[in-house]
Formats: sequence, C-alpha cells, structure tokens
Amino acid sequence: MKRSRATSQRMFTLLLAAVMLLAAAGCGKAAQTNGNGTESSVQNGDVTLVIGAYSVVKDAFAELLPKFQTHWLEETGQKVTFQESYEASGTQARAIAGGFEADVAILAMEGDLDKIASAGFITHDWKAQSNSGVITNSIVVLGTRTGNPLGIKDWNDLTREGVKVLYPNPKTSGGAQWDINAIYGAGLKQSEQQNGVKDPAFAKSFLKAVHANVESLDKSGRASMAAFEYGVGDVIVTYENELIARVNQGVDYEIVIPKSTILIENPAAVVDKNVEKHGTRKVAEAFIAYLHSEEAQRLFTEHGFRSVDGKVAADTKDRFAVPEDLFDISYLGGWPEVRESLYSKKGIWYQVLAGL
Amino acid sequence: MNTMFRGKGWSFGFRSTIMLYFIILIVLPIVGIYTQSFSLGWIPFWESVSEPLAWKAVLLTVKLAVIATLLNMFLGTMIGWVLVRYRFPGRRLLNSLVDLPFALPTAVGGLMILLLLGPNSLVGGLAEKIGIEIVFHEPAIVVAMLFVTFPFVIRAIQPLLEEMDKSEEEAAYTLGATRAKTFFSVIFPTMLPGILSGAMLAFSRGIAEFGAVVLIAGNIPGKTLIAAVYIFGEIESSNPQGAAAVSVLLLTLSFFILWTVNLIQARRTGQ
Repeated sequence: MKRSRATSQRMFTLLLAAVMLLAAAGCGKAAQTNGNGTESSVQNGDVTLVIGAYSVVKDAFAELLPKFQTHWLEETGQKVTFQESYEASGTQARAIAGGFEADVAILAMEGDLDKIASAGFITHDWKAQSNSGVITNSIVVLGTRTGNPLGIKDWNDLTREGVKVLYPNPKTSGGAQWDINAIYGAGLKQSEQQNGVKDPAFAKSFLKAVHANVESLDKSGRASMAAFEYGVGDVIVTYENELIARVNQGVDYEIVIPKSTILIENPAAVVDKNVEKHGTRKVAEAFIAYLHSEEAQRLFTEHGFRSVDGKVAADTKDRFAVPEDLFDISYLGGWPEVRESLYSKKGIWYQVLAGL
Repeated sequence: MNTMFRGKGWSFGFRSTIMLYFIILIVLPIVGIYTQSFSLGWIPFWESVSEPLAWKAVLLTVKLAVIATLLNMFLGTMIGWVLVRYRFPGRRLLNSLVDLPFALPTAVGGLMILLLLGPNSLVGGLAEKIGIEIVFHEPAIVVAMLFVTFPFVIRAIQPLLEEMDKSEEEAAYTLGATRAKTFFSVIFPTMLPGILSGAMLAFSRGIAEFGAVVLIAGNIPGKTLIAAVYIFGEIESSNPQGAAAVSVLLLTLSFFILWTVNLIQARRTGQ
C-alpha cells in the first residue's frame, strides 16, 4: 500500500507538471499568432508586407528585401517592413490556404499556388502576369562527389549497379516532383529518340530502374541535400541552384547536367484575399513586379537560379549551359496531367514504388 | 497532502478534474482518429489498410520493433541487474544516464546515429567494407528504436530487484541450489513481470517512433519505410483518412499491448 501511495503522489506531481507545460504551450501559441502579422496594417505611414515563401529563396531574399525597401522608400516615402516565413513549398501552400495571412506567395511550383487559388485566396489569374507568373527558373541536375569518381555523365549512369542515388520523396515534397518529372521525362525522350513515339511504359521502367538504386527517400529537397552532405549516396538528383549555392560556399561537388532534363519554373503571386484585408495591394504588387526586374533577376542568378529576364539570361548564358534536350512541363502534358498520371493514387509513381 | 485529498468534496473535484483532463488529452484525440479513419466508411478504410505499401510499412515496423524489444529485454535486464547488484565507481552516474534518451529530442538521437554509424564514420566504414549496410537499412532502424526505448526495461526491473527479499535468495543457496538454479528459479521469476511490462512499453514506443527513424531509415516505401513515416507521408500528401486508417492499426495494436501490461501488473500486485 505504501508503494501505491508513493506512486499516486508521483502521478500528481507529474500531472501538475503536464498541466503547467500545457498552459505554457498555450501562451506560446497565442504569442506566436500575434507575431504572425495579423495586425499588419498601416501605422505612421509604414507598411508591413507578409511574405510566405519556399525555403530555397531564403538566402536570395536576405539580399533582395533590403533593396526593395530602399526602392519603395524612394518612390513613395513609405517604409516597408517584412514578416518573412520560409517553409517547404507544399507546407507553405497549405499554411496560406489554411489561413496564414501572407500578402505574397513565392513557391516552388505551379501546383502549390493552385492550392492557394482553389482555397479562394488568390482570385486573379496569376498566370496572366509577365513571364506567366514565373520569377525564377532552374533545371534538374545531378550532383556527384568531388571529381565525379564514378564517372556519372547522364541519367543512364544512375541505373548502373552499385550507384547510390538520392532524391526526395515527391509525396512529401512537392518540389521533389520536379526531380521525378525530369527522370520520367528523360525516359520519354529516350523512347522518342529510339522509336519515334513517347512510350510511357519505357519511361516508367526507366524511372523504376533509377529508383531501384535509391538509397534514401528523404522528406524534402533540403533533407536530401543534408543526407548527401553527411556522406550518404554517390549521386543526388536536385535543382541546379541548390548545388550552385553549395559550390559557392566552397563545397567541392561536381554538377553534371544531363543531356535531357526539365526546366523548373518557380511562380510568385499576390494573395488577393490577404492584401485586401491588410490594405497592402499596392506594395505587394510592386514587390512582385520588383522580383521580375533586372536588378532582382541578376541577384537571383548570383544565387544559382536561371533568370526569366531575356537580357539577364543572355548575359549569364556562359554560366548556365542550356542542356541539349531541355524540356518543360508541357512536354509531359502540363501540371494537371502530370498530377493525374504520375502522382495520383494509383499513378505511375505509386506503381514504381509498389513494384507493379 | 494525502489527508487533504481524502475529504469528500476534494475527492470529487479531484476525480472530475482528472477525468476531464484525461478526456481532453487522451480520449478525444484518439476518438478523433478513429472517426477520421472511418470518415468515408468501411470500404475506404479497408482500402487504405490493405494498400500494399501501407501493410508492408506496418509489417516492417512490427518486425523491427519485435527485434528491438527482444534486444531490450536481454540487454535491459543485464543493465538493470548490474546497476542494482554491483557497486562500482560511476554507478550512480550511469544510473542517471539511463533516462537520457527520454530527455533528448529523438531527431537528435537519429542524427547522432547517422554521424556515428554513417558512411563517413569508423563503424560505418568498417561495416561497409565487410558488406554490411547499417544506415538506411534495417539495422539502423533497430538501433534507433533501441535508443528511444532503452530505459523502459531497466526502469521496470530495478524496483523489483531492489525490493526483492534477500532471504529468499539466501534460502535457495542454503538449500544447496547452484547459482544458476537460484537465478532461474528465484531471481528470474521476480524480475519477469518487470521484464515483460518494460518490453511491452518498449514495443509500443518502438512502433510509434518517428523522429529518430526518419533521418536514418531511407524511407523507401515497400523497403525501408516504417509506419510512422508512412503516416506522415499520407498527411503531407493530403490524405488524412489514409493516415488515420494506418494510425488506427497501430493504435489498436498498442492498446492491446498496454492492456496486457496492465493485466500483468494487476496480477503482480494482486489487485
């Protein structure tokens, strides 16, 4: 009996601690929502712009935002402050669609902006903007260890025995769908060259052959890159800008550009419902326009992105070799088609995983 | 403090507070998960569960959790035994270190395993040379599960060993029993309920582990994807019903296990 009394006393202290913890957590959350910028209205002529972006642009934005701030101050005399949130693209899209009051959304892919649009937060046709709403381009490439010890040259090398491949899971990371699209599309291209027709069955078996060599299927592009840095795998399938950013930091990876690969397009748009609420439409639209400006575009290229601006792209073309057989999402039939054929419940990706 | 709680009003208030707390914190979310999993009816539930990738993930999880639990039963018993029965410098320190895996975010545990057993480490490099793959294959998942469930068996048998009546053991020796005989017919039966209940807890915790495993498992569906990570994937790809269905499988399994633990403990204390 003595024992059980001791236990009940311990239980009580434990419960007390748990209740206190819960209360603390509650307070924390309340403070956070306050910090999330619901009260970002105009005060003393200042304006707050809430930015919901995908994580990869974080470094570029650290340089871009102060520049836009100066421009806006010069133009209008208004001081703009930023509230920034960087998340994986899909997570960010869900957050905004779920009520995170971002004024502008900068995401990795069209589908994620569509999520926000179908939740009713973006009401204008964002594709009608300049460059179809795309602010940066990149391509899917292969990254290898210093000096490319395995002699990786193209997609076919990834199907060789003993080559360990990394790419993130397209189910948890929307951005990873670009990687899978690239492999699948390269398979289509190959079948087209051999037989003159796009053969989905060939492309699927090609994707399957690459997948058989996958060592780890991480939950995001960043996690995949981190694993590669810890020494996992021989080849990583990822965005060119991610690898360039690493190389710029002094990591000696080799960037291999496959003969045929996909053009990545990262869109950005004003979130109508939130700018109406905050009264920030003007500054939000100016910000999106600024992202398309030559200055911003040059800055993006410094961070490894390919420019959507014709002039900047021409200036930097020696740094960004165009693959011989570059294709874009329309080669696969556009995003709606890709979502249906590749990533639907019993789609090609599922069949590859389940070995069907 | 105890006399205070014996008052009638106190007793009622205290009990209802606890019940409310229990309902809000435990019962509601669990009922929510069950409702969510059947939200579209039986057929979608069955489809989500009979999905080859889903049941492969559950099978793999159960298999590896069983291995981790067996290892825990063996090693945990030995460690508990050593900590109670032997006196050596550093014993207290070791004893307090046992609970550390609970205090550490499991993702950090996973990261440590990746750094210590990964391809760039001494152990990982050696293992690779002799053709064993640890990280991103099943051994790493077992190690991660072992890490997070480490304290359960140890903490379950320690009080039993400490409370054990010395005279029983001495009587066995006096009656001429060998050391082995004494261990297996006197000491071991005393520890057994602790070993079993510790093992059950370890198993339940093992099948639910996410943070440590997700970093080192490779997470390839059908090969190295465990149930918790599968569920995460389903949530991320906007399929809450599928996620809930697999969660229900795990929950039901865990519930039966914890139920068994309770039965064992009830038998032990004779309540």
